[in-house]
Formats: sequence, structure tokens, C-alpha cells
Amino acid sequence: MFGKLDLSAIPLSQPIPLITSAVVILLALGVLVLITVKGWWPYLWRDWITSVDHKRIGVMYCLLGVLMLIRGFADAIMMRTQQAVAINAPGYLPPEHYNQIFTAHGTIMILFGAMPLVLGFMNFLVPLQLGVRDVAFPTFNSVGFWLTASGALLVNVSLFIGEFARTGWLPYPPLSETAYTPGVGVDYYLWAVQISGVGTLITGINIVTTVLKMRCRGMGYLRMPVFCWTALASSLLIVAVFPVLTATLAMLTLDRYLGFHYFTNTAGGNPMMFVNLVWAWGHPEVYILVLPAFGIFSEIFPTFSGKPLFGYRSMVAATLFICVVSLMVWLHHFFTMGAGAAVNTFFGISSSIIAVGTGVKIYNWIFTMYGGRVRFETPMLWSMGFIFTFIIGGLTGVLLAVPPADFLTHNSMFLVAHFHNVIVGGVVFAIFAGLEFWFPKVFGFRLHEGWGKTAFWLAFIGFWVTFAPLYILGLQGMTRRLQHINFDVWAPWLYVSVAGVGILVLGVIAQVTQLVVSIRNREKLRDVTGDPWDGRSLEWATPSPPPFFNFAVMPNVEGEEAYWGIKLRAVETQQLSPEPAYEPIEMPLNSPVGIYTAFSPRSSVSR
Amino acid sequence: MSNTDYDPRAHRGALNPTEDLNHRGDHAPGDEPAEDSGHWVRNANLGLGFSIILTVAAFYLAGSHLIYAPAIPVALIVLAIAQMGVHLVFFLHVTTGPDNTNNVLALAFGVLVVFLIVAGSIWIMDHLSHNMMPMDQMMQMQQ
Repeated sequence: MFGKLDLSAIPLSQPIPLITSAVVILLALGVLVLITVKGWWPYLWRDWITSVDHKRIGVMYCLLGVLMLIRGFADAIMMRTQQAVAINAPGYLPPEHYNQIFTAHGTIMILFGAMPLVLGFMNFLVPLQLGVRDVAFPTFNSVGFWLTASGALLVNVSLFIGEFARTGWLPYPPLSETAYTPGVGVDYYLWAVQISGVGTLITGINIVTTVLKMRCRGMGYLRMPVFCWTALASSLLIVAVFPVLTATLAMLTLDRYLGFHYFTNTAGGNPMMFVNLVWAWGHPEVYILVLPAFGIFSEIFPTFSGKPLFGYRSMVAATLFICVVSLMVWLHHFFTMGAGAAVNTFFGISSSIIAVGTGVKIYNWIFTMYGGRVRFETPMLWSMGFIFTFIIGGLTGVLLAVPPADFLTHNSMFLVAHFHNVIVGGVVFAIFAGLEFWFPKVFGFRLHEGWGKTAFWLAFIGFWVTFAPLYILGLQGMTRRLQHINFDVWAPWLYVSVAGVGILVLGVIAQVTQLVVSIRNREKLRDVTGDPWDGRSLEWATPSPPPFFNFAVMPNVEGEEAYWGIKLRAVETQQLSPEPAYEPIEMPLNSPVGIYTAFSPRSSVSR
Repeated sequence: MSNTDYDPRAHRGALNPTEDLNHRGDHAPGDEPAEDSGHWVRNANLGLGFSIILTVAAFYLAGSHLIYAPAIPVALIVLAIAQMGVHLVFFLHVTTGPDNTNNVLALAFGVLVVFLIVAGSIWIMDHLSHNMMPMDQMMQMQQ
């Protein structure tokens, strides 16, 4: 039954993973016991696990994403502290463990942290903003979520049973081939990413269909909120490129399991083809993450400036421009692999051009604030912090897009600083802004303002103290993924960086405190109107939290910013809209298909 | 009718959203209005016939001396593209009709993505293999 699995797979000799997994197992058991003792299983099963409600699935996606962000952050703390203590010393993490940590950090943060959060936002918001009652394929949606969750579980199981990949978050061959990595680490990676990739593809199909087919009356394409546009563009990219990832990893799997030679050094294989194909997915992937983030900011800026979004149509055009051009820039991840000048020039120029679309968006957000009555509430602070951070990240990105400059900074800490600058500054700030912004809509009460602002400032300052030194280290020649350092000039900057991590830890503590304090004071923070921020799109027309059918009567949209228009009309005519004619509503039934597909023993055997 | 010209006032009476969707004149794959079955069968049979002819022609040409030998690959490519067209028109029902805009756009997007990735990969890999040092020279360098 266990095949080659035996007790040697459990890392009894390594205290760090052993103690961590013991704590995690105890915590998980504690939660399970608590649920059983309190008799919460029927509620969980009925209202969450088998729910096909897009809002519940969105919340579960976000919960998974937040848990994985914390897991990935723990890896980050270990990496930064290891580099700070391992200067002319071995440090506390042996190389084989350190390599697993940076691999797990990248894989978890991108595929199991940021992706579920972004998909969670799309799931929760798109039907509400389009004025419909669910996504196009509700049960399919639940299948997608549980597949992602089962992939995430697999990555975390590898902490306790066996090991994780030591190859970096994209397992480049020949290192990831059986000849050089015979252990189970890469196999964990392959199965986890394949399973969750299918889940992501399902959600992508769902969102595309929902946006194209399910809008409420009057919701023409050019009346959709920008978040729906970005969700559409991001889902189009998912549908376009996730199959490329699946095929590439399937080829690597064939190499490993059946002795194929797609990417081997021998027998006509070509490892460079893997690099090429995996980045043909990998670059659109970062836009899959950042486009919905742009959508979130496009909702927050108008709301907190009390003005419509500046340049709505140019925003839509820029989104679609980025969607298409993001498919033509992937070579900038491997300028140094040896393509000729023509290829490098083409991809260098296309990489610089994509910044134009982003620039249009940045100007639109700035002009949205200009002349508006700006309210500096927590979501707005994150958004303004984003503009500052993302511009710096974008500028270093344009620098990296120039092939000769890239030859100097390739695989250096400069690159590490750059992509954290855009992904943390873009995606993670958007996620926190969005959580803060839509939390009252999801749970019916606001988050505590003071702790939210504290968390923002700690995260913002902590981010810069952590990553600004990495730019300098990169220019001083430090490469990424070093397990120990024997060059004293780098030491001060590594100490500054680890101090920044300390500030970020305080930021995380502030976030958790904010959540706890808000839950305790939920009666005081209760959102009774359903529209706590004076919102502009249709989700604010529902009560908080929205009923499972979203809208008692399907809305009829008569312009951009549907809900703002309704409010304006009500003010003008000094009366609310007339009592609508209610009709019976048809809603999809709960279904356990999702959780069975992802976790039932029978389906995993046939898998 | 594209979605931007959609006039909500024309359908104000229709409260049922699915009913309303059907009035939009744009359909997802699979929810086409019911054609009469005789038409459908004739269509599918025509498609089957065309695809058999194209397949047989491809196999026949590959082994024959009917056309100038170096032109055979070109002929096979032409036949393959024709085959794709037959499948799209007769089996997947992609048409130029106004009710088919989404399907045509989806097809165009798919073709664009496949083109970018395939052509880009061929171009990149060609450059790489051109610039790669021959294997025996590399071995000498290591010694």
C-alpha cells in the first residue's frame, strides 16, 4: 500500500522541519478536535465544504491564500536570517534544507498564496459586480477550489514526509531530472502544481464564461467595473497559458518516470526548451496576478476620491493591451541563455513597451485622485503605498528589460529585489487593500482602523528596509540563493535587510491583532447599510454580508458605475426606487463533488 | 448584435435573467437554438465526407509521384489547414454569423496564443542552437 514509502521519509534527524511539523500537526488536530467537540461539522459541511456559492468559495480561496502567505513568510524569515548569520559561517540551515526553503518559498507564495487570493477576489466579486447570482458553472467552481487546496496540502505534507524540491521555484532541468535529483522533492512539486493548475484553469474558464455570458440587464461591456475587465483579461491569460505549464511539467514528469528525453542532457534532449516553455507560462502568470490587483486599485481609487475613475476606456484598453503583450515578453527571463542579438532586442523592446500600458494605468489612478476629496482610510493607504512602490519596481524592471544591463544583474539580488518590489508592491498590497476594502461586505463588519493603519505603515516601511538593501547587494555582485556568504562587504546590508524582516513580522502581528480586535468589537464595527465606504459598483447595493442569492431582483444597469448612478438618481428625485416585483429564484444545490474529486481515496488512486 | 448596442429598455418586461440572455442573440457553445435534426445530420455527414477526402488525399499524396516532390510538404500543410477548417465549420459550428461573435473571437485569441508561443519558441530555440558551441568543442574545453 505504501510502495517505497517508509519511516526514513520522516526527517527524524533534522530538528527544524520535525518540530515545525509536530507543531502544525498538533494545531491541525486541535482544530479538528475543537470542531468535533463543538459539533460544527454539519455546519461546515453544509455551509462551506459542499457550498457552491461563489462568495463562500471566494472566502475559502482567500483563507487558503492567507494561510499559505504566512507559511511562505516563515520560509522568508528563515532565508533572510540564514544569510545574516552565515557570513563566513555555516549558519543554521544545511544546504539541502536551505535549497528546499527557497524553492518552497517561491512555489508557495506565487502558486498557493497569491493565486488563491487573486482567484478568491475574482470569485467573490465578479458575479456581484456584474449583478448576477452566481458564476457560470458553480459546481465546477467548487471542484477548482478543492483541487487547489489539495495541491497546497501536498506541498505542506512534504515538510513532514520526504522532502520538497531543491531546484528553485521553476524546476529547471537538468537539475530536476532523476540523474541529479533522484529524491521525491521534484515529484511533490510536479504533482502539487499539476493538480492546483487544473483547479486554476477551471476557475479561469468559469470567470471568462461568467463575464461573457452572465451580465445583468444593461451591463454592456463598457459599463462593467474595471475589476471585471481585469478579471476577464487575467482569466483569458489563465486559459491561454496554464495548459502550457501543464504540458511542460507533464514532459518533465515523463522524463523522470518513464525515461523520456525531452529535457535531458543526453539522447537529444534540450534543457533550454524547458526554460523557454516554462517562461512562456511564467511571464503571463505574473500578469495573471497583477491585472486583478490593478482592478482592485481601480475600485479603491474612485471610491476614496469621491470621483469616477479617470479614463475608464483607456483603462480597459490598457488592460487588454497588457493581456496580449504579456504573451510576447517571456524571453526577458533568460536573456543570458545565449539567443542572438535579434531575439534579445525584440524581447527587450516588447518588455519595455508593456510598461506603457502600466504607465497609462498609473497616470489614470493619479488623475483620479487629482481634484477629488481623498479619504485616507486604510485601503487608500495601501493603494497610495502601491503607487510609490510599484513605480520604483517598474523602473528597475525597465532597466532589467535592457539586455546589456540584464547581463550584469541576471540572477543577482537586484533581480530578487525587483520582482519582490513589483509582486509585493503590486499584488500583495492590492490583496491587503482589497481585504480591508471588501471585508465589511464579506463578513458584515469593518476592520479596526487604527490597527489597519499600523499594519500598513509597518509593512510599507518593513518592505523598503528589507528590499532596498537587496538592490545594493545585487549591484555589488551578490547572486541569489546563496546558502552562506564569505564576503564581508555585503554583511552590513544583509543585517539591514534582516532588520526589515523584523519590521515585517511586526506588520503581520498588527494584521492578526487587527483581525482579533475587529472580531471582538464586531457589534460596534457592524456595517448596517451594506455600503460602508460610499461605493460605486453593484456589490455595495447588496446588504453586508450579501444573501446567498445576491440580488432579490436582478438589477437593471443604466450607465457606468451602476450603484453610484442609482444613488445619484435617488438623491435627485428625493425618493428610493419603487418596490420591485419579487419572483421565485432558482439557485444551484450544494454539491460534495468538489471535495470528493480532490480528496477521496478512490480518485487519488486512479490519479 | 454586439453587446454594446444592447438596449435594456427593449427587454424591460423580461424579469427572468436566463430568458433575457436568450434575447441577446449571442450564445455559448452548446446552447445554440435547436436546429431541426435533419439539417444537423446532413451537416455532420458533409463534414465527415470532407474530412475523409482530405485525409485520404494526404496519405495518397505523401506516397505518390502525382506532384513535384519538393512541393509535397506544402501540399500536406494546405490539406491540414483545410482539415482544420472543415472541423471548425462542420463539427464545432464556428460561423461568421452575428450570433457567433464570441466563438470567433475565442478562436482568434487561441490562434494568436498558439502562434506566438510556437513561432516564438521556434525562433528562440533556433537562435540558441545556432549559438551553442558544438558538443565536442565543449568537451575539449572541460579537459
